[in-house]
Amino acid sequence: MNRKVLFGGLLVSLPLVILLLLSLGRDPHQVGSPLVGRPAPHFTLPVVGGGESVTLESMRGRTVVLNFWATWCVPCLEEHPVLAAGPRRFGGDVVFLGVVYQDETADVRRFLREQGSSYPSLLDDSGKVAIAYGVYGVPETFFVSPGGTIVDKQVGPLTPDLLAFYIDRARSAAAAPSKSTS
Amino acid sequence: MNSALARPALRSLLLALSAALAAPLTAQAPGDAPIDLAQVANLVGAPRGRELAGDALEAEAQRVSSVLRCPVCQGLSVADSPSTMATHMRQQVRELVAAGFSEDQVLSYFEASYGEFVRLQPPLRGINWLVWLAPVAGLALGLGIVVWVLRGATATGRTPGAAPAATASPAAPVSERDPLPEDPALAQAVLRVRAVAYGWPGGRRPEAR
Repeated sequence: MNRKVLFGGLLVSLPLVILLLLSLGRDPHQVGSPLVGRPAPHFTLPVVGGGESVTLESMRGRTVVLNFWATWCVPCLEEHPVLAAGPRRFGGDVVFLGVVYQDETADVRRFLREQGSSYPSLLDDSGKVAIAYGVYGVPETFFVSPGGTIVDKQVGPLTPDLLAFYIDRARSAAAAPSKSTS
Repeated sequence: MNSALARPALRSLLLALSAALAAPLTAQAPGDAPIDLAQVANLVGAPRGRELAGDALEAEAQRVSSVLRCPVCQGLSVADSPSTMATHMRQQVRELVAAGFSEDQVLSYFEASYGEFVRLQPPLRGINWLVWLAPVAGLALGLGIVVWVLRGATATGRTPGAAPAATASPAAPVSERDPLPEDPALAQAVLRVRAVAYGWPGGRRPEAR
């Protein structure tokens, strides 16, 4: 009888143990993006503060840092200086774009006036672009290679080191388009 | 015409109307460019169904939204979630369905950006079979165990696989029908229990029947 109980217990628990062991190294908060390694979805969005709309297509040949953010998001405030220093730090072949999601234009203007801005912030009122990029929350940052492929996706605030790391990867992805892992 | 309506009735009617119209109205709000259908078609192919409008559109949009998972609330469908993200996704579903995209195409479109996770029903492929088959397998296993235990109970004291107890017991010798433990003290206890429980004199089955 004891042997039967042991056998039954093993039968039930072994698959569970195997499943847990297989998932041991994974971060449960990091839901991988199916977009990494694929062409970045196109978009044309109006710029906060007016002016001509910005099209992703027109950025071809340059590395694009696409940052989804909102004024009500504290980590976005934390990473803002890192991104704001970006254009000067990385030069003209890297384009920084902010996409504001689920926010009020007036709040965004005030935020940018107070915190400073060095690159265009785009308005995505209908959430179209955020959904096309599979955005769950803010901040999320996509790194698009000069060839227009999404090379990496960062969930959570960027540090100067992380930013440099991802930009390096996106730049060097120019030669070999597509095929990348996260 | 309006003056004929009592004011409270009018107000409640207006409230109900505005609630019913909220989603379609926001979908047409100024500045909200419609979804880029060409880009969607690029991902999932040309629309497979026909263009919809009116009630058919609402019903189909509702149906597709109810199998699409809201990414920010995870446990809820886009149709059930009150979040802004879900509202936006409902609008998109509506636009896509109106343009004639099939349920599978709409789901595939969202899957391209969010992964298979957005499908509330995991599609039948790869490891997902496990999700569909495991409950059936579990049920079969449970039934098997129940049958096994029940058979063990009817064939008391016999090894599994022996002839069923029902046909064997009347003809079997007395000692085999009501087996006793080998330990004499334990056997005495069992006899006492049988005497109390069944009213058998001395704990032994009365032969006459």
